[in-house]
Amino acid sequence: MKHISLFKYGLAVLLLSLCTLSFAQTPVFSGKVVDETNNPLPGAVVRVKGTNQATSTDANGAFRVTGSGEAIVVNITFIGYDAIEKTLTANQSLSIQMVPNAKSLSEVVVVGYGTTKKSDLTGAVTTLGTKDLNPGPITNPLQQLAGRAAGVNVSQTGSEPGTSPSVRIRGITSLIGGNDPLVVVDGIQGNMDLLKQLPPSEIESVDVLKDASATAIYGSRGAPGVIIVTTKKSKAGKTSLEYNASASVDVNSKTLKVLNADQWWEQAQLYNVPAETNHGSSTNWKDLLQQTGSTQNHTVAFGGGADKFNYRASLTNIAQTGTVINSKYKNNIGRLTATQKALDDRLTLTMNLTSGINDATYSPPSIGRAAFTSGLFNNTYVARPTDPVLNPDGSYYTDPNVFQYINPYAVAKTVINQVHEDALFGSLRADLQLTKGLTAGWFGSWRRLNTNTGYYLPAKSTVPSAIDNSGIANISNSHTDEKLTDISLNYKADFGQHHLDAVAVYEYQSQTYNGNFAQAKGFINDLATYNAMQLGDLTKVTPGDISSYKNDRNLVSFLGRVNYTFANRYLLTASFRRDGSSVFGANHKWGDFPSASLAWRIDQEDFMKNQRIFSTLKLRGGYGVTGNQQGLLPQGSIRLVGYAGATYFGGQQITNYFVSQNENADLRWETRKQTNLGADFGFLNDRLTATVDVFTATTSNLLFNYTVPQPPYPYGSIKANVGSLLNKGLEVSLAYQVIRNSNTTLTLAGNASFLKNRVLNLSGTINGIQQNTDYIPWGANAYLIKGQPVGTFNIIKHLGKDASNSETVVDQDGNGIIDQGNQSPDRVLSGQALPKYTFAFTPSFSYKNFDASMVWRGSGGNKIYNAIRANLSYFENLGKANVLQSAVPLGLYHSQYGSDLWLEDGSFIRWENLNVGYRINTKSKYISSLRLSLTGTNLLVITKYSGADPELIADGGSTMGVDNGTYPRVRSFALGLNVVLK
Amino acid sequence: MKKIILSILAVGLVAQSCTKVSENVYDKYPASEFYSSPKGADIALASVYAQVGGNWDGVGYAGADNGWYDLNSFSSDEQVIPHRNTGDWQLDFAQLYQRQWLPSFGIINNTWNWLYKSVYIANLAVSQLEAAKADEAKIAEAKVLRAFFYYLLIDDFGNVPFFTDNNVTVDKLPQASRKDVYDFIVKEITENADKLSETKGGAYYGRFNKWAAYTLLAKVYLNAEVYTGTPKWAESLAACNKVAQGSFTLHPGSANATSPLGYQYYELFGDKNPTDETILSIYATVDIVSRNILTIRSLNGPNFMAVYGYSGWNGTVIPEDFYNKYADNDIRKKQFLVGSQDGGVTYTATISSLDNPGAGANEGVRDTKFVPALPMNGGGASNDFPIFRYADVMLMQAECNVRLGNAAAAKPLVDAVRQRAGLGALTSNPTLTDIYNERGFELNFEGHRRQDMIRFGTFTQARGVVPAVGDFRKLFPIPTNALNANTSLKQNPGY
Repeated sequence: MKHISLFKYGLAVLLLSLCTLSFAQTPVFSGKVVDETNNPLPGAVVRVKGTNQATSTDANGAFRVTGSGEAIVVNITFIGYDAIEKTLTANQSLSIQMVPNAKSLSEVVVVGYGTTKKSDLTGAVTTLGTKDLNPGPITNPLQQLAGRAAGVNVSQTGSEPGTSPSVRIRGITSLIGGNDPLVVVDGIQGNMDLLKQLPPSEIESVDVLKDASATAIYGSRGAPGVIIVTTKKSKAGKTSLEYNASASVDVNSKTLKVLNADQWWEQAQLYNVPAETNHGSSTNWKDLLQQTGSTQNHTVAFGGGADKFNYRASLTNIAQTGTVINSKYKNNIGRLTATQKALDDRLTLTMNLTSGINDATYSPPSIGRAAFTSGLFNNTYVARPTDPVLNPDGSYYTDPNVFQYINPYAVAKTVINQVHEDALFGSLRADLQLTKGLTAGWFGSWRRLNTNTGYYLPAKSTVPSAIDNSGIANISNSHTDEKLTDISLNYKADFGQHHLDAVAVYEYQSQTYNGNFAQAKGFINDLATYNAMQLGDLTKVTPGDISSYKNDRNLVSFLGRVNYTFANRYLLTASFRRDGSSVFGANHKWGDFPSASLAWRIDQEDFMKNQRIFSTLKLRGGYGVTGNQQGLLPQGSIRLVGYAGATYFGGQQITNYFVSQNENADLRWETRKQTNLGADFGFLNDRLTATVDVFTATTSNLLFNYTVPQPPYPYGSIKANVGSLLNKGLEVSLAYQVIRNSNTTLTLAGNASFLKNRVLNLSGTINGIQQNTDYIPWGANAYLIKGQPVGTFNIIKHLGKDASNSETVVDQDGNGIIDQGNQSPDRVLSGQALPKYTFAFTPSFSYKNFDASMVWRGSGGNKIYNAIRANLSYFENLGKANVLQSAVPLGLYHSQYGSDLWLEDGSFIRWENLNVGYRINTKSKYISSLRLSLTGTNLLVITKYSGADPELIADGGSTMGVDNGTYPRVRSFALGLNVVLK
Repeated sequence: MKKIILSILAVGLVAQSCTKVSENVYDKYPASEFYSSPKGADIALASVYAQVGGNWDGVGYAGADNGWYDLNSFSSDEQVIPHRNTGDWQLDFAQLYQRQWLPSFGIINNTWNWLYKSVYIANLAVSQLEAAKADEAKIAEAKVLRAFFYYLLIDDFGNVPFFTDNNVTVDKLPQASRKDVYDFIVKEITENADKLSETKGGAYYGRFNKWAAYTLLAKVYLNAEVYTGTPKWAESLAACNKVAQGSFTLHPGSANATSPLGYQYYELFGDKNPTDETILSIYATVDIVSRNILTIRSLNGPNFMAVYGYSGWNGTVIPEDFYNKYADNDIRKKQFLVGSQDGGVTYTATISSLDNPGAGANEGVRDTKFVPALPMNGGGASNDFPIFRYADVMLMQAECNVRLGNAAAAKPLVDAVRQRAGLGALTSNPTLTDIYNERGFELNFEGHRRQDMIRFGTFTQARGVVPAVGDFRKLFPIPTNALNANTSLKQNPGY
């Protein structure tokens, strides 16, 4: 109560004095301070120039000061905004708009188990506020990050509703141990799924921890980097009701061009394709399956706060209709967050609760004929343009002369592939101040995710397996349960020039996964789809049609961190974490993850006082050890006996069991050691800022399924820790405020990162025996090769074609035999699947109520094996399929090779978005601000790549660098609305 | 200060109680406990048999694709899958027929991996059964099964790594000579065959009984000269005579309207192999235990669709010269399809191209020896597969007799097989060529042809337009993957 009383008395005194002064006829200068969206800024400090007089703005952003004469000059400051000087005229109230800082040194950065000031950072951390996030028809928060942070590569393959982009921080850390960063939302730790359950418009800030000195605090989950999301909270003394909406029209940007019916027939005659394969129709399969899509995003958020209490609640609805028929996504998210203080303000309780319900209808992902399966849309390229869609009787057309013929339109219209997810996560944090500077905390979070998938493949879909079985229905359910609790002690103290901030934490995580699957086949009609599996033919039940599973993992951690600052110039951060995880072998359950980093704020030194070049100059250096374990499934280290189908023994069918994997009691932590050197620069009073980081990271004890000899192992590979990977990188971010005044700002910003990746070694000792692993297939014609980047193309060179129009290739070793084996001397190293560099250019402009921003981003230095082009380029297939228009000049009849004819440069520059907004001034009693915006997304792609889109999965996994066809990528145009009510 | 101490204490206490990170297993059984029970020991034996049935990914002896059966059948002269000028079928099969395989071939790798996984499981079964003090007959059965896999290994690969204890590391796993492994196989079967059950069918259907073990022994001896340089014709004959004590007969072959293809002969390749003649079978129920793709793989889509309701794969064909050797009145020629068929398909006997640009869609004679048995679907049928049958044993007896200079004793055996197929008796005592041809007619599509061709010296000769190859092709190369994983392995000469 003490504070409130003081406040009240203070106000009374202030008012009293103002009254007194006004009686004395002293001129009054008043104004209202607002932010860039015209919302009042309470608490801004107003100083009268040349005096000691100062005040702060009230809840409505208003202030009054007294002065002498006609005019005074006031200096107004507010955290996160540029200081502003204004001349006030007596008795004329003025509305003063503040401009947000381009880069705020006093900004708070969330660093995991605590916060720090940006100026005190010693590691490589990128902080993005609301204004730094991409606008537009956003369905997943990751889309807001694309191009926004150096070293953070967000890539989206196609635009299928409900699918998430992939993100890689500083390259590929691991082969099978997991490359997805850890996601922390208001303290709740989780995987990438967690982001999908967050409303994009409710995100206050995103902090990306990149180097090991920053991520080591997350120990065994920190190696792939950490994305920390902080959601919006209400400010004390302010209530708000806000509505955010965007609606877009989505159209396919680029799709492949195949022959039309006339062109097909012309080519068919050239290649002597029998006339009976021409069924006389003219069908544009692609047009049949594509449609104009839409994306809608609505959020209502409200909240308020008093001195000891604040809350915020929001409800978000995201609805998306895909550009391929029968694909859509809906996501509804409700959030509630509340904070309460008690015990004379020594206890703070914060609760968060998020509930998300989403429903997706996916386009069948892997479907097609024996030699080529891909997403449904890509089958429109395969289908002959001369085939009819329907038979005369109205049923879907199929051709029995073509092996495993499918009619893509029938699949699109009849296959049901629905996924329903219920996500619930919540947390409670309690912080108790024990004595001055010492705080004890307890945090608990619980996350549940229930996924229910229903799939129905009717016989009329024309899919061969569905015809064979008279319809296939299945339902799978999976349940994820993740609990985390930690207990922490936090100590802060200042001793003269010394500042100390220390934290110690004990953490326990337990994750349980279970689920079941059931399948039925043989339906007499398609009315019940997967909703009544008992209607299927039970005699068709085969092993594998019914299954269930359960596994769990737990992680125990002890961790501590010390931040020490001397004279506000010399900064030291040291952390240590000891993790124990159940998923590792009996010999290596525990791992240690230390880190240390130093920073020197040179700009604070006395000798810098008189120079005018640098407004900011800071050097940083750090080293840390992190681990990786989340990619490992439980039970990976022990020899288990599991279900192995059925066998026939003793005159009857019985269930068969078998050892499901090679055991390895030495299965242990992957260790990533990273050194980071960085510098932050600010010139011209921070109008030009730059951050440069260089790093080198080595992953040792690399988890992988290493090749072991068979014999004596029953399986040809074993999960073990043998090899090592190296990543080296350079990251640069620049921002220049070309114009910065209260009416106009123009900022040119951008970032670039360069990454070198190399497989140092894949061979070593397993169970005491030297094992050799090399040339492991990792993509199409791409490999893991010692000394080369992950996913290096090692491919046969195209030469030309022979008299029968068959492809000929270069016989590198001249032995007359083209060996297509993995280590064949006929293969040639030909570039890498991972981009060598990524970059983005993000200019923004505002003039009075008008604002505009753009994102251009790209990557390069990588190759793509265009497998879908290869598949659609051989004229021998013409009798049963279509080919690309680009196949005509090639004139290849047949090839027995996957040559570098299909290997293409994957570099691109994408005009990711253009956003223009206008803030409508309103005098309304009810509306405090109103903004309209227009966003165009994926407006232009500059690339040499001939496929639909050069942005493919570059996640480090074994399927990267190959284009087997994707769901089309959309170009969208969105209208946005933001209303804040009084 | 008290609070601080208290809270540190509390943290410590909680931490103490929650530092366990041991693994919980809910949905599988720990291997150590599982196999030590008597039930587990039985399952260990059953799981060895699970290896024998054919399934996807090149697993199994016969029935599915890309494994042992394909390697040993397409490398012979009895069947081939040409690349089609419709873009269908990869080249591996045609290259096997041309004997142009490379050590990196997937089918060779699959076969090696399948056999060594089988040896591992057999070793496991032997050790678990011994540990569980199981019935002597079951231990003997597991040992004979293991000998069977080693026999297949030396037959295809020559000198191979040899181990009988799974707790071995690769440095203590030398590549044993073909002769040493041969000796082990002979010893193992000789010591264990008489411990096996004499029961035919029933609980022993699809299992090694005494008669199957002696058939295996006879096969090993029959090829002893190939394996070791020393022929063992008398020993082979003796083993065949042991099999004969099991009172097997030839299954009738005559016309019968309700039999597949109208002849009782084809009942041998039906849903359940008749136990009058069949000695060892693979049991198959498609999608449940093993499968049989041999017929659906051969027929063209519309043809198979018209007859059986599923789309055929348009793969396997019978090379024209092999087909032409059959006499027209041979019941066994009924398995082939040529000319106009249901579904508007006309097969022509000549194959214009095996690889480049490939054969036309309807080129090549098709095979329906295994008339699809129900249940069936687009992934195969449920015909059981005869690994050993008595007709084979009779022809082995005949061969041994001829090789031992007793052709007269061979004649009634060969005649019996011929007469069952509707042919007349031989006009004179059989020669080795007669026996070689008869084995081709009788046992085609049953996985024996490569071994027979090597024994009779025809394997590396020219076939139609395909030229002869070097003698080193009588052994397959050790797969590249195996060589890379175990650098102490020595590649077979010529590769």
